[in-house]
Amino acid sequence: MLTLSNLSLRYGRHDALRDVTVKSARARVIALVGRNGSGKSTLLRLAAGLLAPTTGRIEWDGTDLRELSAVQRARRVAYVAQRPQLSIALTVTEAIGLGQFSALDSAANGRVVGEAIDQMQLASLAHRSFHELSAGEQQRALVARALVQHQRDGLLALDEPFSNLDPGEVNRVANVLRARAVAGALVLVAMHDLALADQISDEVWWLEQGKLIVAGAPAQVLTVERLRTVFGCEFARGSHGLALCIPDGRAGSIEGAQ
Amino acid sequence: MNTRQRTGVVLLALFLIAGVTIRLLISREFTAQGLRFDWPEFNILQLRFGAVESALLAGGCLGLSGLLLQALLRNPLAAPFILGLSAGAGLGATLAMYSAITFNAGVLGWIATALGVADGIVAGTIGSLAVLTIVYALGRRGGRIDPLTLVLAGTVVSSICGALTLLVQSMMPPASRGDSWTWFMGQIPEVPARGPAIAAALLLVIMGLLAWRRGRALDVASTSDDEAESLGVSLKRLRLVLFVGAGALASASVALCGPLAFVGFVAPHLSRLCLGSQHRALVPASVIAGAALLVWADAIRQAIDLGAGRLPIGVLTALIGGPVFLCILRSRRLVPGVWPC
Repeated sequence: MLTLSNLSLRYGRHDALRDVTVKSARARVIALVGRNGSGKSTLLRLAAGLLAPTTGRIEWDGTDLRELSAVQRARRVAYVAQRPQLSIALTVTEAIGLGQFSALDSAANGRVVGEAIDQMQLASLAHRSFHELSAGEQQRALVARALVQHQRDGLLALDEPFSNLDPGEVNRVANVLRARAVAGALVLVAMHDLALADQISDEVWWLEQGKLIVAGAPAQVLTVERLRTVFGCEFARGSHGLALCIPDGRAGSIEGAQ
Repeated sequence: MNTRQRTGVVLLALFLIAGVTIRLLISREFTAQGLRFDWPEFNILQLRFGAVESALLAGGCLGLSGLLLQALLRNPLAAPFILGLSAGAGLGATLAMYSAITFNAGVLGWIATALGVADGIVAGTIGSLAVLTIVYALGRRGGRIDPLTLVLAGTVVSSICGALTLLVQSMMPPASRGDSWTWFMGQIPEVPARGPAIAAALLLVIMGLLAWRRGRALDVASTSDDEAESLGVSLKRLRLVLFVGAGALASASVALCGPLAFVGFVAPHLSRLCLGSQHRALVPASVIAGAALLVWADAIRQAIDLGAGRLPIGVLTALIGGPVFLCILRSRRLVPGVWPC
């Protein structure tokens, strides 16, 4: 259970996050959505215990994440950053293997890395340098690293994991995240693609100017009216989910819009 | 260690053994036939062993210090000499020497004595860490460390420290100044001072083991701050311990041999070239590479006859290391936080 209580974060005079209170049980995918600068990444980093809130508490199963050591926290929470950074020349396998740093069971490490590589279909790139990969391939490698680190019933926090991915890769990553949730994990994903959020999440947290405006089921939060008001453009909801309508009236950046 | 890493360490060790052998056998005397190798008399051999000891210890300290700085700052251009740590250590040691002469009684005298332990290693460590703090603060832009700004700040702070060292030396009685010119250009003493030699050896063992133990943490620390923390590395603690270690290692090398350019820069790069980027293997490799580079530089300068004495060791290390630095500086992949190799 993740519990965020009266969470605020202030940078100088700027309130990055204001009085956020929300909780979620395990076995769910939660999409954090909102406009750029609304506080999605900040909330994700707070939930992962990487930032100290100005006020409020972040609890995972009743334990304040900020009171844990880095290793103890890493055994509970895995995090995927928006932009990967690696300042040394490692192979893809070595870079993914960094996810083992906090592992208790070192005997299983090789197998876990192999499984993550297979899940993200990176086997053909395993011995290439991480820096030689395309942006999308690097993104998949980072998700694989988080899978290596992540305990099956832990918290998995991902910041824009679908950026730079082609549709096939989006499908693969989305399926892996859903499978983790089914296995008992809580998956928090900050994302811009609302149609995808509508399809893969069990719950959507909507942020505006650092405040949590609404949290609930995708169909209740991602309403056509709210999207029109916030983004000033038309969305349509059909039998296959949500889709953006282009200006001339023809529906659909996503298949299935009606 | 994997096969490549084992092979790399063996190659570097062979490079070191060859350098030590040549340094022990090469004669300082030039003959009409040119260079001469011989097995010298005992007292000459003792001097050559002394020079080898100085070079091994100072080179090892510089290699490890450079590796730690490059890893912790995520900057391939970082090194004790380039960032001004060596100059800061020199200034600290000189100030300790000046204090010992000026304040010889009371609490100030006691502090001066403590700072002057082992030819000013304590004061040198404080000086090098002070410089590192200043350079680190100057190198930060928008929450990120810019590699080139860091180097520029290091160069300027290094110049200021050098000027201050000369100023303090000129305020000291002539008899206490020592040979400041020789010290400034770097030297490989054939009779190394016991205090700095023992301190350097102890620091190498302690910091070598510590850095080796934290090798995987150093790999993880090569990601962003957020990623490293989320993977389980407490960056604050890692940086605190290893930055102090890097400063102390730089200070020990300065106390032994003076400020030597580029050894601490080239050794980690040479090690990466031989055995990749994983720090568990790089720690022993950088110590060996640093020691080997300095022993070879000392051996090579024995072979260069300037007529009026030997080439200062610092000149040689700068002539070898400078072009390597420029090559890496020109690397197109040198962007903030991204390694070029």
